[in-house]
Amino acid sequence: MGSVKAELLRLWKWPATWVLIGVWLVMTLTFGYVFNYLALNGGTNTRDLSQQQLISAMQPENVGAAVVRGLPMFGGAIILVLAALAVGSGYGWGTWKTTLTAGPRRVSAMAGTLGALGIIVVVLVALTFVVDLGAAVVVATVEGWDWSLPGFDAVEALGASLLIAAMWTGFGVFLGVVTKGPALSVGLGLMWAIVTENLLRGVGSLLGPVESLTKVLPGGSAGNLAGAVGGSGAPGVLNDLSGTTAALFLVGYVVVFVGAATLLKVRRDLV
Amino acid sequence: MTSSAAVEVKGLRVHRGGRLVLRDVSCTIPQGSVTGLLGPSGCGKTTLMRAVVGVQIVSGGSVSVLGAPAGSPGLRNRIGYATQNPSVYGDLTVAENLRYFCAVLRAPRSDVARVVDEVGLGGHEGQLVSSLSGGELSRTSLAVALLGTPELLVLDEPTVGLDPLLRDELWTLFRTLASRGVTLLVSSHVMDEAARCERLLLMRDGALLADDTPSALLAQTGTGDLEQAFLSLVRESEAA
Ligand SMILES: Nc1ncnc2c1ncn2[C@@H]1O[C@H](COP(=O)(O)OP(=O)(O)O)[C@@H](O)[C@H]1O
Ligand SMILES: [Mg+2]
Repeated sequence: MGSVKAELLRLWKWPATWVLIGVWLVMTLTFGYVFNYLALNGGTNTRDLSQQQLISAMQPENVGAAVVRGLPMFGGAIILVLAALAVGSGYGWGTWKTTLTAGPRRVSAMAGTLGALGIIVVVLVALTFVVDLGAAVVVATVEGWDWSLPGFDAVEALGASLLIAAMWTGFGVFLGVVTKGPALSVGLGLMWAIVTENLLRGVGSLLGPVESLTKVLPGGSAGNLAGAVGGSGAPGVLNDLSGTTAALFLVGYVVVFVGAATLLKVRRDLV
Repeated sequence: MTSSAAVEVKGLRVHRGGRLVLRDVSCTIPQGSVTGLLGPSGCGKTTLMRAVVGVQIVSGGSVSVLGAPAGSPGLRNRIGYATQNPSVYGDLTVAENLRYFCAVLRAPRSDVARVVDEVGLGGHEGQLVSSLSGGELSRTSLAVALLGTPELLVLDEPTVGLDPLLRDELWTLFRTLASRGVTLLVSSHVMDEAARCERLLLMRDGALLADDTPSALLAQTGTGDLEQAFLSLVRESEAA
């Protein structure tokens, strides 16, 4: 499909894509392996994680959990920024005007953006898996552990990772279309992903109804799904809902965000 | 002059921001010509062009383009539109932008080299668009409009900020395209570009003052240059 190819070409050549992916990979390595490794090797262990927990977190067979753990909050924020920028910058630079006057129908233009973002996100999750696996194998070899490759549960964790990533992508696309620009959409998205939901969780410990709400908000659902597939031990990961419930909420969010964004983009006199 | 009309506007009325900005505009643009749309800033040139390319919500009247209502899906790849503000990605290079729009517009890849050459951007292909000069930037936008060999080119102030030499080259390009049968609607708020057009639409305050050839306008108003002709038409319309 021409639109997917075009958008993929643009995102691929776009420095921001690679900066964000690079930042994410460095973050996941640093928090998932470097710090744990240092803590294991003589650092004063302040987080009450036992040696056994540190070793388990870095074992190659637990790479699936390592990938999904980072996505509800920080990875999600990065994906959201990428999606919001990808859509918002078309308004910022005024390029949607050309696409929508001379190019394909609006629905296919939107499908092109979504398709290309989808491919980038799959690449991102796959890269994270490969990089984490590499780091885990290096650590296990250096430490001389008995280790084995990840088994079937890694597939479950990767599926959950993709669903969480899809939700944040949809959220970013939605914000980009609604705010018609990169700056406000990125600002609002980061605010939501990093600040608002955490504040609400704080309030939730005082007010029951708010607490039940926070579980099913976008970040809350993502955190619960990550928790359900074994990704505990990172900020934003929760254990309040079953994996199925959390996954259903995430699917719902994807449908709502993508649907609303497409409808707005098709209907609005945007140029 | 070729017979059939590429664009036919009848009784067009457009409201923007609650104000009537096009009041009952009617005109025809013949195929294979360069038609200049001239008038002071804010008179409604961009709005009329938006109506022609089909992105403007109109309150009344009709716009027919290449035999179909403006905005019909079938027209999309037959029209090239360069907006007044450049609409290219500043964080990609010239060539990357052109390849991107080639894919969006389903134009052949070979068009990239052709349009770069036509707008005289050779040597800048690898340059980041945000680092281009104003004139180079608007020529990049123009290059995008030329992709895919459209039959109708709507160019909103394409020569603003260009030096006289480049301006001359672009007008030569416009005439070459017209001689191949392409219809061009080119706007400008600078009267001295009017003489380069085969036909002129003179606008003021949301209404058309004239739709004629430059020589006919000079004869009609009995003036020596088009700027004077425009002023005389303005006075005439105010007296009426
Ligand atoms: N988005 C908008 N909302 C409200 N009014 C607008 C908008 N865009 C243009 N206008 C008004 O419409 C009139 C015609 O504008 P425009 O077609 O851009 O003129 P020109 O291109 O000849 O400079 C101007 O008075 C302008 O202020
Ligand atoms: Mg204008």
